[in-house]
Amino acid sequence: MKNIDRFAVTEDQLRALVAEGLRHGGDWCDLYFEDTVYSDFLLRDSEVNSAGYHIDYGCGIRVLKGEKTGYAYSESTAFDELLKAARSAAAIACVASSAEQPAFRSGTPDLRRNDCYPVRLGWNGADSCVFSDFLKKIEAGIRSRESRTLKVIGMLSWSMSEILMYNSLGELTSDSRPLGSISVQVIFRQEERIETTNVSRSLRAGAEMICDDVAEDLISRAVRNVDQLFEARRPKGGQMPVVMGAGASGILLHEAMGHAFEADFNRKGQSVFAGKMGSRICRKGINIIDDGTLAASRGSCNFDDEGVPGQKTYMVTDGILTSYLHDRISAWSYGVAPTGNGRRESFRYNPIPRMRATYMESGCDGSVQDLIASVKKGIFVDQFANGQVKIGEGDFTFYVKSGALIENGRLTMPVKDINIIGNGPQALADIEAVASDLKIDESTWTCGKEQSVAVSCGIPSVLVGNLTVGGE
Amino acid sequence: MISKSETEIVARALQTALEAGAQKARITYSKSEEDLVATLNGEVDKVTHCSDRSLSLALFADGRFGSFSTNNIEQAALDSFIRKAADIVRRIAPDPCRDLPDPSRCCREAVSGDELGLTDPERDKISPQMRIDAALASSVFGRGITLPEGCRIISEEGEYSDSIYETLLMDSNGVCCRHSECSFDYGVETTVEVAGEKYSGYWWDSSSRHRDGDWAACGEKALLKSAAQAGSAPAGSGKYNMVVDSEVAAKFVSPLLAALNAFSIQQNNSFLTGSLGRQVFPEGMTLKDFPRIPGQTCSKLFDSEGVATADAPIIENGVVREYFVNTYMSNKLGMAPTIEAATRPRLMPWPQAGLGRDDIIGMCGDGILVTDFNGGNCNQATGDFSYGIEGFLFRNGEIVRPVSGMLVTGNFLKLWNGLVAAGDDARSCMTKLVPTLGFTDVDFSG
Repeated sequence: MKNIDRFAVTEDQLRALVAEGLRHGGDWCDLYFEDTVYSDFLLRDSEVNSAGYHIDYGCGIRVLKGEKTGYAYSESTAFDELLKAARSAAAIACVASSAEQPAFRSGTPDLRRNDCYPVRLGWNGADSCVFSDFLKKIEAGIRSRESRTLKVIGMLSWSMSEILMYNSLGELTSDSRPLGSISVQVIFRQEERIETTNVSRSLRAGAEMICDDVAEDLISRAVRNVDQLFEARRPKGGQMPVVMGAGASGILLHEAMGHAFEADFNRKGQSVFAGKMGSRICRKGINIIDDGTLAASRGSCNFDDEGVPGQKTYMVTDGILTSYLHDRISAWSYGVAPTGNGRRESFRYNPIPRMRATYMESGCDGSVQDLIASVKKGIFVDQFANGQVKIGEGDFTFYVKSGALIENGRLTMPVKDINIIGNGPQALADIEAVASDLKIDESTWTCGKEQSVAVSCGIPSVLVGNLTVGGE
Repeated sequence: MISKSETEIVARALQTALEAGAQKARITYSKSEEDLVATLNGEVDKVTHCSDRSLSLALFADGRFGSFSTNNIEQAALDSFIRKAADIVRRIAPDPCRDLPDPSRCCREAVSGDELGLTDPERDKISPQMRIDAALASSVFGRGITLPEGCRIISEEGEYSDSIYETLLMDSNGVCCRHSECSFDYGVETTVEVAGEKYSGYWWDSSSRHRDGDWAACGEKALLKSAAQAGSAPAGSGKYNMVVDSEVAAKFVSPLLAALNAFSIQQNNSFLTGSLGRQVFPEGMTLKDFPRIPGQTCSKLFDSEGVATADAPIIENGVVREYFVNTYMSNKLGMAPTIEAATRPRLMPWPQAGLGRDDIIGMCGDGILVTDFNGGNCNQATGDFSYGIEGFLFRNGEIVRPVSGMLVTGNFLKLWNGLVAAGDDARSCMTKLVPTLGFTDVDFSG
């Protein structure tokens, strides 16, 4: 098995560790070994003059007793240190419960391996001088096309995580996860006014992504709509129809519904969607997916962090809620198969249900122009900074970096720096039209639910009939 | 917790970095240990034990700079890591502004690490059962707390943790500082249901001393917060007076501190560029840093460069008194260096001491009390902001009803110049001591 030598353990030792974890009556034990190297190069003031290299190595051990979790980790994989961690995690089985809990049992997934990470050139072997040249090329391209450019800050980072997982079913799996990211912040000046824009690209691919096409994509997006940045105003706030452009508007799905579909919130009864499985939650024809199998997507995983293969999960099929997103615990609780959504930030954390690449399939309501033309007075949005949701209430927000007013079916005044707020179930029900232009956004999306994990999102252009827009 | 042998490893690593070609270097070695018990609906749900270490290396070689970290301090692995770091640094462009701080500015009195009295020997005596008892002590799930009619608890999640964190900083100029700190934390989130709608509330407490935390009250406070939101709805778009509860008011101070950072100034990405020495805030606004108060959470004698902290005005009577200028930015901007960031800033009471939330609501008369934020952001270059909020509508100084699904939008310079009052009720367990705030003429949507 790949990676077993890397962590200097034998299969006999893995079995012994699991036995130690179950010594006090635990139902389940799993081991998660991780060896991650992360490197970054920073362009600032027109020079790549700062670099970093970071190593994170260790093993997390989880023991389950019913739905209760014991967790510990070691930053050494020396067997005696791992034994100590296993003993700490095993303690959960000693914690008395006021009621008899049924024993946890995990289904046995089909361990067929995906291959979601098309690496042609490994990061470790790449010449870092190429990275410096790449960042400088991006700056030069931006400056040549936009004379108002004041500063360009570019960051190129890559990581390679070698993972080994073993559990009390005897399932032994490994994964080698590349992740390359480039982010560019540009500061523009027009007379005394300063405006900024941010663009990024992140893929589970190798160093072949450091290429002219990616540079051109970042340059063209960075200098797009600079005039609008300086012309943009705060709109008059209030409730109005919102046309969300294809791609990054997938943040709507992530915040308004994705989190509420994560089964831990539903298992605890906290989610606004708890108890709604099988119910219609939006109009017919809408399909919403969480996908771990998209080639090179930042959110994809050959295996999740519980050793379950990455899958494509239909959360909403033809408008009906058809699946939550499950880790092994919630899958057992609901009596269904795990969906490969058990993810974690690192070996320091126990896995919990998390999204991967969340998107809506294309609809048949025409183009984004058709959607805009159908709105008398509203707003169009297409770039975002961040979002958040209150799971119980279902109230979500996302911060709009750019967009425009819609007046009589036409885009008019550019807008920026506004927050939009809505309620998840209501926003889903208020989706009035879905265009046929699905786009998966490849920016550096990171979800921060208790732990930070890489995700992706996408959506075709959609018209939401009523959201609250911040303004003056 | 950082042993003598680990101290020797750090010293040896520093020497190895110099032998590998660096002219200067700084190593920060951190170690922590945490035990946590999480509860769900009055029962233990999760028990974890965490033990972490990290060695961070700042290398200055041939006018070049890089920062590196590893959690593997076994000698052969560490030597290999340092050689790799030195090799990477040589491949990037020089930056003559990178340097260690002047040793005369660095902290000399952080010798034992516990000079501020932030460690609690009682932590060593806490047994696993005591942690479980502490975690369950605050739970009110199923304990018959009186709630408004039609309101019932859906779930209650609690989390108790105690931890110790130590850091050792050494640089090639002979600077050597230690910091040790315990933390005892408890937080509860409760979800209630009223008429088919769910409402959540959160309360927490934290202390560096086990005996000082008010753990038992957390569960009930969280439950009452969630129940108080029942029936919330938008209040309608328009201009309102705004009172921001001390629990969340730091949200309006953090963007100011970020904009005063010299890195933001140097990159032309700050709405406070050119504000040093000028009155850009109202006369009643004073923000000071008190980094060295013994026994207080997050007090610290030195910053991440080893520079000694000191009490200092940041904004005084509305005048900006300090940019946060580290050694690198000092050389870049030609400005005198200061501390790199505020450690424990406190917004001073105004217009008088002793005001609490109810007093400020009374001063504002009519408006919206903000008790929580839901997302949003601030454009650091312009100071424009927009945040989701929830809270309460008040009239004639009295709470009328809960509000949610609303947005507050504006510009920070304009907002702060509408400051009516700053209370005297900041919670000492917070890193930023920001009391209840009152503002006039604020734009709300929803």
